[in-house]
Amino acid sequence: MAVLELNRVKKSFGTGHKKVDALKETNFHAERGELIAVIGPSGSGKSTFLTIAGGLLSPTDGDILINDTNIATLNEKQLSKIRLKEIGFILQASNLVPFLTVEKQLKLLDKVKKDNLNKGQLEQLYKDLGIGDLRAKYPSDLSGGERQRVAIAKALYSNPSIILADEPTASLDSDRAYEVMELLKEETKNKKTTTIVVTHDIRLIDYCDKVYKMVDGVLELQQP
Amino acid sequence: MFLAWNEIIKNKLRFTLIIGVLMLVAYLVFFLSGLASGLASLNREAVDKWDADAIVLTEESDQSLTQSSFGSDAVDTIDADETAVLGQLNAIAQTGDEKANVSIFGINSDEFIMPEITEGKEFTGANQVVAGDALKDDGFKLGDTISLSSTEEKLEIVGFTDEARFNAAPVLYTDLDTFEQVKFGEAAGSESQISGVAVRTDDISGVTNEEDLAVIETETFIESLPGYTAQSLTLNFMIYFLFAISSVIVAIFLYVLTVQKISMFGVMKAQGIPSGYLARSVIAQTAILAAVGVVVGLGLTLLTGAFLPSAVPVGFDIPTMLIYGLVLIVVAILGAVFSVLTIVKIDPLKAIGG
Ligand SMILES: Nc1ncnc2c1ncn2[C@@H]1O[C@H](COP(=O)(O)OP(=O)(O)O)[C@@H](O)[C@H]1O
Ligand SMILES: [Mg+2]
Repeated sequence: MAVLELNRVKKSFGTGHKKVDALKETNFHAERGELIAVIGPSGSGKSTFLTIAGGLLSPTDGDILINDTNIATLNEKQLSKIRLKEIGFILQASNLVPFLTVEKQLKLLDKVKKDNLNKGQLEQLYKDLGIGDLRAKYPSDLSGGERQRVAIAKALYSNPSIILADEPTASLDSDRAYEVMELLKEETKNKKTTTIVVTHDIRLIDYCDKVYKMVDGVLELQQP
Repeated sequence: MFLAWNEIIKNKLRFTLIIGVLMLVAYLVFFLSGLASGLASLNREAVDKWDADAIVLTEESDQSLTQSSFGSDAVDTIDADETAVLGQLNAIAQTGDEKANVSIFGINSDEFIMPEITEGKEFTGANQVVAGDALKDDGFKLGDTISLSSTEEKLEIVGFTDEARFNAAPVLYTDLDTFEQVKFGEAAGSESQISGVAVRTDDISGVTNEEDLAVIETETFIESLPGYTAQSLTLNFMIYFLFAISSVIVAIFLYVLTVQKISMFGVMKAQGIPSGYLARSVIAQTAILAAVGVVVGLGLTLLTGAFLPSAVPVGFDIPTMLIYGLVLIVVAILGAVFSVLTIVKIDPLKAIGG
């Protein structure tokens, strides 16, 4: 059973001669425990694809199934619930709340959704990501790599079935970038999540199970 | 609440400034309300002390005690649980070099207008008076002999009472005979001439059938005192204006803060934190800021009040201040509505820079 499925999804922006077909008709599916890379030049439609898959952008046409729920028919409130429970976003720049300590970034998620991780799971998460010592620090006191690790912790915290990362390593040097990919791979395998990483850094694709290439709004599976 | 509180803790300086502005507005509101009630009691405290439901005046006096005059026999036509006759006259009192505006009340000492004595004794004979203790501030003392602008009669202060000012002038209480001597001199007739009759009754409409007498409820009577309504309207208008201003100030401050945080809110929304949670957080934050500002403003007002010279007519009415404080918090929250609308409209996609 596919965790994430896109059926004949299209997205165009604007109308008339300004119309841009950011995503041409796309079929896609991803299974549990898969780490998938989407590469391609800037402006090719990678972010459009990812945000549609994450329920942040509605497609011009087509269906998006997350664990068999068609999210194309949901309203904003229901979508926000799906995002909270099923999807972990990791973004290019820091997506941390500047006035919350690392510990409270995670606690915020407890406040919003009713069920939380138990103490053991939380400690394990801190340990896996190596951020235990940072829990009392504010984002402004963290390095870029540390911030990205906290962002990953935040994305993993709700035990989502899908992790969507848009250029998560863009602000990091190579060593840190590899570290982050290593982490994503471990978590994907351990927690059996479905992880999609958008990047234009082809050196990172070695970590991934499948690689898709996006060119002018067309998504193509690369043969290994 | 979690977000609201943690943000305040992290950005203490920023939020202290906002609280400071709210505190100053609250301070001004409380102070004006103190001034309003102080000025009001300057006019009305003697009347409040009667604890009367209404006052009977002549129809043609147009609700003015000073303009009303009728024979005291009319009391027999008045139907009320309790009555107290009152003759009233404005005068300038002088003792030595000290001068003051006074309001002379001619009364029967066995009726309810008779005040409690706080110093000295009751008036018992001709030309003795009990004075409102506000006169002490003008340099008048127990035992002083007072000469009046309008008559040769001399009065002697035999006692003092508190909270006795009428239309901004301290009251001199005396008996009806002395009052008549002062007011009419040799022309005083055999029947006492009085200005009004204060009544305590449950049935104001049934007090009198006389065509030339009018029954005026106490509150209406006070409102028609010269200058009273204009004064309280002015001050109340300023207070209401401040409510509106504080709402706008809060709206602007919060809006600026919210605009700065648009991308942060967008990220949170992308992560699935609902708009409603973020909106409630802004409201909670506003409530915290406003409540702290109001409480500090209240404390500051009371502190200032304790150090003010007694000549400044402030009177702090705690229930009124609590209501105004609540109103301030409510209008501040109204000011937050703008920011809430902004948050609801934020597109999480923009934040992600998709
Ligand atoms: N909100 C938008 N309005 C109009 N055009 C857009 C919008 N978002 C993306 N596009 C266009 O769609 C195409 C794909 O963009 P994007 O998915 O961001 O590419 P990538 O992430 O691969 O760099 C680009 O040509 C971009 O200009
Ligand atoms: Mg992009």
